[in-house]
Amino acid sequence: MAEVHQEGGGSGADFDLSQFYQIFFEEAGENLDLMERMLLNLNLETADDEELNGVFRCAHSVKGGAATFGFSDVAELTHQMESLLDRLRRHELKPNSAMVDVLLESADASRGLLARHQAGGEGHSPPTTDLVRRISVLVSGASAAPTAMLVPVAKLVEVAPVPVASAVVESVSEARIDGIRSLEITIGPVDRPDQADVVKELFRDIPGLGTIATLPCGSSEFRVFAVETLSSDEDLIDLFAFHVSRQQVTIKDVGRSAGRGDSDLAPKMNSDARSDSYDDDPPPGAPLAPLPGFGFFDGAPGAPTDMLPAGAVKPATALRADVRAPAHAVQPEAATIRVAISKVDQLINLVGELVITQAMLAQNSRALDPALYQQLLTGLTDLDRNTRDLQESVMSIRMIPMSIVFSRFPRMLRDLAGKLGKKVDFVTQGEATELDKGLVEKITDPLTHLVRNSCDHGVEMPEDRLRAGKSEIGTITLSASHQGGSIVIEVRDDGRGMSREKILGKARERGLDVSDQMTDGEVWQLIFAPGFSTADVVTDVSGRGVGMDVVKRNIAALNGTVEIDSSEGYGMKVSVRLPLTLAIMDGMSVGVGDEVYILPLSSVVESFQVKSDAVSTVGQGSQLVKVRDEYMPVIELEKVFQVPRFNFEKPSDIMVVVEADGSRVALLVDELLGQQQVVVKNLESNYRKVPNISGATILGDGKVALILDTGALVRRSRH
Amino acid sequence: MGAMAKVDDFTSSSPAREYLTFRLDQEEYGIDILKVQEIRGYEPPTRIANAPSFIKGVVNLRGTIVPIVDMRLKFNCSKSDYDSFTVVIILNLRNRIAGIVVDSVSDVMELPPDSLKAAPEVDSVIENDAVLGLGSLGDRMLILLDIEKLMSGVDMGLASEAE
Repeated sequence: MAEVHQEGGGSGADFDLSQFYQIFFEEAGENLDLMERMLLNLNLETADDEELNGVFRCAHSVKGGAATFGFSDVAELTHQMESLLDRLRRHELKPNSAMVDVLLESADASRGLLARHQAGGEGHSPPTTDLVRRISVLVSGASAAPTAMLVPVAKLVEVAPVPVASAVVESVSEARIDGIRSLEITIGPVDRPDQADVVKELFRDIPGLGTIATLPCGSSEFRVFAVETLSSDEDLIDLFAFHVSRQQVTIKDVGRSAGRGDSDLAPKMNSDARSDSYDDDPPPGAPLAPLPGFGFFDGAPGAPTDMLPAGAVKPATALRADVRAPAHAVQPEAATIRVAISKVDQLINLVGELVITQAMLAQNSRALDPALYQQLLTGLTDLDRNTRDLQESVMSIRMIPMSIVFSRFPRMLRDLAGKLGKKVDFVTQGEATELDKGLVEKITDPLTHLVRNSCDHGVEMPEDRLRAGKSEIGTITLSASHQGGSIVIEVRDDGRGMSREKILGKARERGLDVSDQMTDGEVWQLIFAPGFSTADVVTDVSGRGVGMDVVKRNIAALNGTVEIDSSEGYGMKVSVRLPLTLAIMDGMSVGVGDEVYILPLSSVVESFQVKSDAVSTVGQGSQLVKVRDEYMPVIELEKVFQVPRFNFEKPSDIMVVVEADGSRVALLVDELLGQQQVVVKNLESNYRKVPNISGATILGDGKVALILDTGALVRRSRH
Repeated sequence: MGAMAKVDDFTSSSPAREYLTFRLDQEEYGIDILKVQEIRGYEPPTRIANAPSFIKGVVNLRGTIVPIVDMRLKFNCSKSDYDSFTVVIILNLRNRIAGIVVDSVSDVMELPPDSLKAAPEVDSVIENDAVLGLGSLGDRMLILLDIEKLMSGVDMGLASEAE
């Protein structure tokens, strides 16, 4: 199951993309804040490279993100800022206060633009054309005549408020011309027409949606509304679907109204917009009955053109107030906060304690007479539920899906492939695999390096690939999965692979102790030696040999391991195996004797009650069970784990078939206790590796249960 | 890795140290109080298959999985019953946490360095270098343990490999 991540995202990945949007908005917001702080602290006379580089990096990050997500207006503005900052940091220009001013204003404008995108594209966008122009003046003009330009620039800044204000109006007018559509929406047939009236509340509650008015309608089963909005039909239907079914909604476009036709007038109106364009008079050209309660999107698009000759009516200040108010309404609130991981950990541990206390209370209250202690018992039931909900929520704080990491790569690869002149397809698998946030952060850099390596060293040039009989386009696959209690992240490519001889040769050159008898695995491990590179040419991407040893060291620091598999001419696979420190896993709890063990649900195939005649022994007593014409080895957990047994009357008769590493075994257990999400705890942090056990978890009653390593159990059955 | 040097600062010039004393059968032992994280009642741990008998298993200590070693079994005491007086001393040793089961905790006492005698070479289940010395308090004899060394010994089997 491979899902190819495309840049900008296809429609199939809407949910994921919006997830990334949120991260981008946060990061961009932080970058803009940081930039603002740095700009404000910038000492113009003695600005050092570090400061200027810092500001540049902020602008650059915002631009990069905006371009990736297709927010071209933000990208355009930040690109201009970046150009200016680039010249500053190269000392081609000397920073002056006008530059700082315009940069600060641009940062504000970027925030406005971002806020608009964050609100789903509703509301108006802050003006940027003027800022862009001013920046380009600074970039080009100032370098030609630095001193001469200073004065006009300063003036420009002084008068800034006025153009900004008028430009706001301008952009709104543009929006009115471009976006507003007049629609006739029919809802029905409905049993009670007042059901349909609730959609009017949508227009009242959602700022920037537009206006709605009820139109007279002959039938009692229908309601007809006149709507003016910027939103698309689909968006409207989605909104209405909260109240009425989609089939009941009919949208008729009654034309983009008169103003649309007068496109030749539009530019003129734009330029004149600052002098007028706001008038509460109903638009004569409006196709529908006059609508009461016009808000921000007042007037049909036709209105301004008609009103143009009439000239300015309203004072500019009032205009600005009108326009600004809704802008505040869509100000995004901070949807997330950043918290130190240690605080979250503390929370997790405290909740763990709470769960135990709660379980203890529940146990002690069982003996109480329900009739006498009804209130107490009700309270305890509530406590039970709340504790569990709390635990679940707290646990989920730390876990984030791998897609967060994976999503960084498509763009990087695209750029890289473009730079190297290669053609590369990027495939990701298992991006829903959840991983502890701490690990995710630390694994990003090593993975970046591995992916980079695959692209640079692994995948060949298109012509070489064709010559080798491969498809012109190379494939780099990034996959994540839970395996035997670890998380395995694989970076695969179908490139040229590694040459054993070449590596051995290089190793000898570097004076490493090697011999031809080394196994492939040992040879591949050589590339982790510090300073080792097999690249013939050092590129600016990789090849300096500082990579793989750092990768290995970083991964080892996470208690992980790196394995390489390669076949010359066919590609290479790097597997990074990480322990689960706090991964959440779906588990199935089984009872053996008096003990409870957890099986990873992902490896459980089926379970059944076994009939004694289905089990047969082979050779030295190993047992086989026949399941639908297939024989599979039986593993008695009781024997493997030396479970003491006190009750001999009831023999184990339940088998759980598990699959790992491509083969299946049947585990003999006493009972199936249930399925639950378990938090995987590392047994090795305070103890040691235990055979056939991948980790431990804490059950609801505070007891520790061991998680079985199905991979090891399956391997055990083979010997 | 390199933190085995704790024993060396055990000189007569060092100030008096505080020791937590506990009983195992008839013997009284003392360990550096700074290694003790907390003292808890005994709760049945989750057994671990194929572990030495003195490793009782693992317990959940506020979300951390902690192995429990029964010192009475480790030191071959005649009996090791679990009752309401049995206590577990949770030790914090070089970022590893472990619990030891003892018969009872006596008290915390300060021992001036000159009241310590070197332990004679005797044949015992305790590796000799894990005994810091003997402290005498009136007619009582206190066996001072280097708990860190004792717990990280190979035969303890707490770590995967000897560190």
